[in-house]
Amino acid sequence: MKVAIPGLRGGLVPLVIVVVLVVLPILGVPRAWLLYLFLFFVYLAMANMWNLLAGYSGLISLCQPAFIGLAGYTLVIITWNGLPFYLGIIAGAIIAAAFALLISIPVFRLRGIYFAIGTLVVPEALRIVFFLWRPVGGALHGGGAGYMVKGLAGISMSGFYWMALAIGITSIFLMRVILRSRLGLGLAAIRDNDNTAASSGVDVFRLKLYSFVIGAFVTGIAGAIFYIYQGYIEPVSTFTIRWTMILILSTVIGGIGIEEGPIVGTVIVVILHFLLARYAGLSLLIQGIILVGIMLLAPQGIMGFIRKARASRSPVTVSH
Amino acid sequence: MGKLSQEMPQEALLKVSNIDVFHGSLQVLWDVSLEVKPGEIVALIGSNGSGKSTLLNVISGLIHPAKGSIEFDGRHITTLDPFQVVALGVTQVPEGRRLFPDLSVLDNLIIGSYSRNARSKREQNLKMVYEHFPILKYRKDQLAKTLSGGEQQMLALGRGLMSDPRLILLDEMSLGLAPKVTDELYKALSEIREGGITILFVEQNVRRSLKEADRAYIIEVGRIVLSGNVAELREEEGVKKAYFGL
Amino acid sequence: MTALGNLATPLVMGVLLGGLYGLIALGLSLVFGVMRLINVAHGDLVILGTYFAYFAFTILGIDPILSLFIGMPLLFALGFAIQKYLMSRSFGISMEVPLIIAFGISLIIQNVNQIIWTPLSRGLTTSYALESFVVGGVRIPLAYLLDFIAALIVMLLLSQFLRRTYLGKAIVAASQDTRAAQLMGINTARIYALTFGIAMATAAVAGVFLGITFPFTPISGIAFLIIAFGVIIIGGLGSMLGTFIGGIVLGLAQTLGGYFLGAAAQMLIAYIIVLVVLAIRPQGIFGR
Repeated sequence: MKVAIPGLRGGLVPLVIVVVLVVLPILGVPRAWLLYLFLFFVYLAMANMWNLLAGYSGLISLCQPAFIGLAGYTLVIITWNGLPFYLGIIAGAIIAAAFALLISIPVFRLRGIYFAIGTLVVPEALRIVFFLWRPVGGALHGGGAGYMVKGLAGISMSGFYWMALAIGITSIFLMRVILRSRLGLGLAAIRDNDNTAASSGVDVFRLKLYSFVIGAFVTGIAGAIFYIYQGYIEPVSTFTIRWTMILILSTVIGGIGIEEGPIVGTVIVVILHFLLARYAGLSLLIQGIILVGIMLLAPQGIMGFIRKARASRSPVTVSH
Repeated sequence: MGKLSQEMPQEALLKVSNIDVFHGSLQVLWDVSLEVKPGEIVALIGSNGSGKSTLLNVISGLIHPAKGSIEFDGRHITTLDPFQVVALGVTQVPEGRRLFPDLSVLDNLIIGSYSRNARSKREQNLKMVYEHFPILKYRKDQLAKTLSGGEQQMLALGRGLMSDPRLILLDEMSLGLAPKVTDELYKALSEIREGGITILFVEQNVRRSLKEADRAYIIEVGRIVLSGNVAELREEEGVKKAYFGL
Repeated sequence: MTALGNLATPLVMGVLLGGLYGLIALGLSLVFGVMRLINVAHGDLVILGTYFAYFAFTILGIDPILSLFIGMPLLFALGFAIQKYLMSRSFGISMEVPLIIAFGISLIIQNVNQIIWTPLSRGLTTSYALESFVVGGVRIPLAYLLDFIAALIVMLLLSQFLRRTYLGKAIVAASQDTRAAQLMGINTARIYALTFGIAMATAAVAGVFLGITFPFTPISGIAFLIIAFGVIIIGGLGSMLGTFIGGIVLGLAQTLGGYFLGAAAQMLIAYIIVLVVLAIRPQGIFGR
């Protein structure tokens, strides 16, 4: 089976890492570690998808919180109806993907930066919708229209962790597969030149739509897993630009449009969260400064910087 | 600064020395050198993509050369920005005219005098432009985009003159214009030279170039291959063959 | 009372509010028109202006409108610096970089405001902000009328500046053809920085009147960014009249939405209009 996984060339090291990660909770590592690893894998899955959109498909999507939140609310509706939470994850992802298809009608007519602004409106509108609409009955919890997620009794931190690990690792392999598939090659053609790609028979619109829907699906799964852990959802902290910030930062620090970028970037983002956990406002402030700094000093992120350094050291490089 | 030009009056006004220019990683000019003396009209001849416009843009400071130097009136302008080059008295009238389409004719001309030293001479230069091209005065309140092709080229030239230049770089002035209009423009050009302005122009039409200029440079795929007085060049075998089919 | 009589209030208020929205959009439109940059930090910069006025009002005891004599130069300088030191370097790299930098600036401003002022909702509650008057049976808050007047004044001044001065003409020229502007001796880098500065000065005015009209928090900026974007989409670019009309459409959407659906839903209608207009005019009205 391990041989069949594409891109796992000489893949013993990654396999060992995965095995170690899987057995980590059994080894009795502290709960706090598991929590940070949990966040790492949830963010990683989302950041990988954002990289697929922004880095490979030219879609600077600012509506990822919509997918996360819709999956979370779907999870609530499913569990409130007495169905098991894993159905909620799947249904949440499907709803997120369907929603992506729906909003693609208006936003896919927009190019570049207009697409970004068009998508920015979506989570803002949904926040109001979920503030007004109470999809399932029952008492409100806390401010706004908050809900507890039901049917989670018996899931331990290890359980949350394994779910996150699964989606995080899956997202890495998914990126490998996609980028080497016809979809990935088509996207590469588009990235090089939109017009040439279109005239050479690449259906630009369709490929971008595939990315968008796949991105929404996986982001939805990761979002649902996050809300299973949090056990509670409400509009203000769900349909928020903070999510977008995490994804952009994770992708950009590591290197946008580079496959390993989000992995490296997410490690740094989670470490930052850990270090600055006590100063929430300051943490975001520092992240904003890092974001601006990275963009100005190394717009290709850490991995891009490493690649460049390697290339310039190697004697076989093409002369500039 | 300016030392050489004062000692030797026939020193070049513009002196491009051995420049190499890249677009990204692609080299487009190789070791190009060129001189324009005060009061001359010099033509730069070459086919599409030979690097003529690039050379003008390098002189204007839109692109900086990787190697070599550019001097204007004895002063190094190699690394200056376009607005600084204009302030020194080198103005380009770009290919395709590039007027400000939604501004009036008058506003286009006024923008031409944006440089600080040109502002004080605005009225004087405006009068001069209207003398060369009376139609512009007649149309001064119209939007630039409503002018005909020939009028637009006149406006482009007039806008360039508003910057009070000592050297004008003219890129493909006659492109897409009727011969009659072209004649009119070249007539204006020789009057402009009479007024003491030096001219370096790029032109596709070789016959026309060799007729209007004092000297010419022939550029092929990024290299200057021939240069000299137009009378000499007209007799040159290679030029005859390549450009006149003789 | 007839239903129509009831409607008169949200209609009048919507139109007046439209002035404020046009005013908020003005800076975004200017920066986009000249630099082709969608400044996603625009809303936050407006809110920064609001907080400055709040600081001047509550701590220094200066009237918010008078505080603009300090607030406008301050925001002008900030805008100038943002363009000169951050944005200008990013333009050459790629299309995404300036956008992401603007996003980073947005985050920085939000959190600076959050750290200084806490997430509490605040307001510029001057004595006149709470007053209202009655015209033809319609009760109108004075703040809304002030919004409208301020918008008219700023738009008039700005359009005259762009039309009559050398600098204004240079800004317009650079927005139409940057390279040609360079070739005419215009220092476009400086024009860009000045444009950003001017845009931020208008944002300072917008911020003060916003604070007189609505309560605000450190994260209010996003909602106003979307409104400003919607105004430009509806009203087109480079036209003051269009900006005004776009503002009025969204102002009416908000007041009528609030009237029919309740206060919590008032922004929803405005957002949906933005999405619908985007869907109908794919190139936005930016497209030329």
